[in-house]
Amino acid sequence: MANIIETAKGAGLFSTLLTAVEVAGLTGALESPGPFTVFAPVDDAFAALPPGTVQTLVQNPPQLARILKFHVISGAYSRSDLVDQPSWESLEGAMIPIRCAEPFEVKNTSVLSADIVCDNGIVHVINRVMLPG
Amino acid sequence: MPQLGLEFHLGLDGLSLPLVGLTALITLLSVAESSPEEPRGRLLYGLLLAADFGLTGAFLARNALLFVLAFEITLIPTTLLLAIWGGERRATAAIRYLMYGAVSGVALLAGVLALGLLNTNGFSFAYDDLAQVSLPPGSQRWIMGLLLLAFGLKMPVLPLHGWQPLAYSQASTPVAMQLSGVVSKLGAYGLLRFAVGMMGDTWAAWAPAIAVLGMVSALYGALNAIAQTDMRRLVAYSSLGHMGLLMLAISAASPLSLQGAMAQILAHGLITSLLFCLVGMIETRTGTTEIAGLSGLLNPCRGLPFTSGLFLLALMASAGVPGQAGFVAEMVIYQGSFTLYPIPTLGCLLASGLTAVYAVRLFNRVGFGRLDNALADYSRTSWQERVPALSLSMLVIVAGLWPNLLLGWSEGATASLALTHPSPSVLVAALPSAAVPQAAALLELS
Amino acid sequence: MTVLTSSAKALPPSTHPFAEVVERLEAGGSMLPDTPENLMQIIGIYKAYAVPMDFYWRDLLYIAEQVFLNPLPAFKYFPSQEYLDRPNSYQGDQAELRIWRGEAGAHPELLEFMEKGEIGKLPKLLHHLWHDRINMEFAEACMDAMLWHQGMGGRFNDYLDSEVYRQNADKAIKAYFKGNPLMLGLYKLFPEMLLEQVKKLSYVANLGLFWEVMAPVFFEMSDIYDEGGFSGVPAAMDFLVNGIFAVAGRPIYHQVFIRGECFEIIPKSEGFTWLYEAALPYVEAVFYRTAPFRGTKSYNAQAGQVPSEQSEFHYGILYADVFPVGSAGIPPTLLMQDMLHFLPPYLTELYLQHKRGEDDILVQLGITFQRSMYNVTSAVIQALRAALLFPLDDPDPEHLKANRAFFESQMDRFIRPEARLRDVQTEHYR
Repeated sequence: MANIIETAKGAGLFSTLLTAVEVAGLTGALESPGPFTVFAPVDDAFAALPPGTVQTLVQNPPQLARILKFHVISGAYSRSDLVDQPSWESLEGAMIPIRCAEPFEVKNTSVLSADIVCDNGIVHVINRVMLPG
Repeated sequence: MPQLGLEFHLGLDGLSLPLVGLTALITLLSVAESSPEEPRGRLLYGLLLAADFGLTGAFLARNALLFVLAFEITLIPTTLLLAIWGGERRATAAIRYLMYGAVSGVALLAGVLALGLLNTNGFSFAYDDLAQVSLPPGSQRWIMGLLLLAFGLKMPVLPLHGWQPLAYSQASTPVAMQLSGVVSKLGAYGLLRFAVGMMGDTWAAWAPAIAVLGMVSALYGALNAIAQTDMRRLVAYSSLGHMGLLMLAISAASPLSLQGAMAQILAHGLITSLLFCLVGMIETRTGTTEIAGLSGLLNPCRGLPFTSGLFLLALMASAGVPGQAGFVAEMVIYQGSFTLYPIPTLGCLLASGLTAVYAVRLFNRVGFGRLDNALADYSRTSWQERVPALSLSMLVIVAGLWPNLLLGWSEGATASLALTHPSPSVLVAALPSAAVPQAAALLELS
Repeated sequence: MTVLTSSAKALPPSTHPFAEVVERLEAGGSMLPDTPENLMQIIGIYKAYAVPMDFYWRDLLYIAEQVFLNPLPAFKYFPSQEYLDRPNSYQGDQAELRIWRGEAGAHPELLEFMEKGEIGKLPKLLHHLWHDRINMEFAEACMDAMLWHQGMGGRFNDYLDSEVYRQNADKAIKAYFKGNPLMLGLYKLFPEMLLEQVKKLSYVANLGLFWEVMAPVFFEMSDIYDEGGFSGVPAAMDFLVNGIFAVAGRPIYHQVFIRGECFEIIPKSEGFTWLYEAALPYVEAVFYRTAPFRGTKSYNAQAGQVPSEQSEFHYGILYADVFPVGSAGIPPTLLMQDMLHFLPPYLTELYLQHKRGEDDILVQLGITFQRSMYNVTSAVIQALRAALLFPLDDPDPEHLKANRAFFESQMDRFIRPEARLRDVQTEHYR
């Protein structure tokens, strides 16, 4: 099996995410054993943000890293694990609420495709970029 | 008509001069105060001037019948002024005023006729002759009673004040200014001229009771003013209170207190006219005289700072704050009356203190505080509108700083008018009418 | 984000006291009704606000970075030419994200005012002593509000209590007072005192960086309006929302220059963002909470006239009784006087036609400012909704219900009688 980064590369839907991870310097972390649960926004999610948002973040890696870390939980959790708890602590520090079990919704996003297992964790594909708060 | 004793004899002395001046001034300013777009403007001015005519005639008369004539003449235009312009209940107010005024006129006529006809020195209505009037023993009481009724209704004092609060509060601003500023002084002048001047000994006998009446009237006016929710009614009761004070001064009839009485006549005339003028200005702009409906008028951006400032000044003057006319008058009155009637004087002093209460309460609500932006949709007063209030205020201040303006006119006249009183214990024993000749022997008319 | 009506009708009507406003928000609008006059008023006042704001941010950064711990900062309101020329990161040719099409340095109207003021061309010091200048005291009052209310979200405040910050501050303090035994001795005796001052200065920097963004946003809005580019109040609000997102990731930091050397008290690498650490706390502190202004009214704290919970404070611009009491030194009055100098002509004309014209122009423009801040708050609310909740045209009714709950909870804060939300709905509130 591939690790999270390789899986994402292979899917072809996460070029913006991967660039962001690269710029934020988190590639190494996401290639490490982990394990992690990652909520991965598709490219359309980034495109849906108002113009300039991504550009500003990309120019400021620490800030970008903060947003990205909000999408990662330490430990590998599948969908059934996740729905057992109302919220989970992200790597950034803020809580990620599980909004709905059926259909699977995390914070204000819908999970397009859950439980994509990788070497070092599980990836859930989401349709929006999550922001803390 | 010499057969009737009616001579057209006019003259000025120290008593009437300031009053004539006051009449002229207040009439002028009340005309200035009226709105230029007044629909029946010519009628208003005509009636105001007619009232002025009557009043001036009354003050200038040197013949008692002429005085009565002028007194009655004043009644008609003032009633019409009340009835045609003013608040919602002006018809009631006018009728009441007319009724009380009619009674007052009848009583006055009867009293004056009695004075002239029963005069043992000869039939005459001229003041000079009546100054040495000598009346048969039994008649003095009821003549004094009639005169007191007549003039007490006019001033007014308790318990003859029934018409006053309604009339003053329903009158439109120019009319209120004239009524409170001048017409009420007719009563005081009458008392001075007739009761003190011509029937001095009887007055001296009745004075203790009248002093108490004055005190009660002052306290009643002040206490009621504190309770009012409408600015016009508050000023009306305030006026009543000040009239009580005037009554005290006239009852004491010492040289100093009579000077104070004249000062109070002038000062109160100015101050009450000023208050009504300002309340009128506020009503024209804001549309209400309800105290609860107003707040924060001193606001420099959207309020009426100039008008409210003058209002504060007028209220302070009414309360007797030194530096303004009210203080001069009150001070002299108290000094003049205290030795003679200490308790009533103290009572009136208390009433003066209470005037500060309602003045502060009123201004605290109306002037200070937060202006309600939703209601603050009016424009500033123009300089033209401010002229009456401004001139009255300046006079009030000047009179306060230069008391001679109030006291100087009438020094001689009041000195000659003053009575020396026997000590109270003698008076108590001397009250029955049969003792009048003895009282006359005891007293000296200086 | 377009203005929609169809999805909003998917839900039954709201039962909130401000149902009309909630439904307007759900349709993509602002708390302020969409009328041409509203649009004219708010854009005009944004421009009048942006010019002094240009001065504020430059001087705030000057104070935070240069003046720093000067014990007698008599000239802190005289930013150096370097700071007046300092290029705004969002305007000018060098900007990476150019929000305003204008030049990078200080706005020309600002420079003209600084030179001439109201009384004419005089040396700067005389202008300052005559108080014919931009009222920086307003900016400092905003900073004080943010400092005092502290815990309003974001990581900024907690960081100021952390060990890392203390060490950074310590280095900077020691470097600043090198060779000054008196101040260093004072620092040894009372370490917390100077540390507190540095915390204050960090908030100063925070505010300066916040306003550095807002000024070009407002300038651009004014230019777009002059070209006729806004179709209404919602369009203006959308511009703000996009602006908020575009700059959300801007770093918030505090660096100090001591004798040419740069000390990073709050480094950029801490990851503080403009949105979370500057904008949201600012809105909460200055728009909603603030504090009662001294010298205007007496409050009896024992009788509960001032709320015991800081979160209950309601003295911000959204609740303000805009009547200037006339006392100098009240922050909103200071701002109003600043804005008075830079009003666009169409706004001055409007004011001369209403109420008392020139006599109460300050009150009128204050009320306009309040309207405009309701619009900015609407933009923040919509931006938060976009960031944390669902799009307005979301097909799922559950999502729409979540949106509505969010809007209604925001509107709950305006139910109290002091809130002016009801008043700004009407035209005659001037």
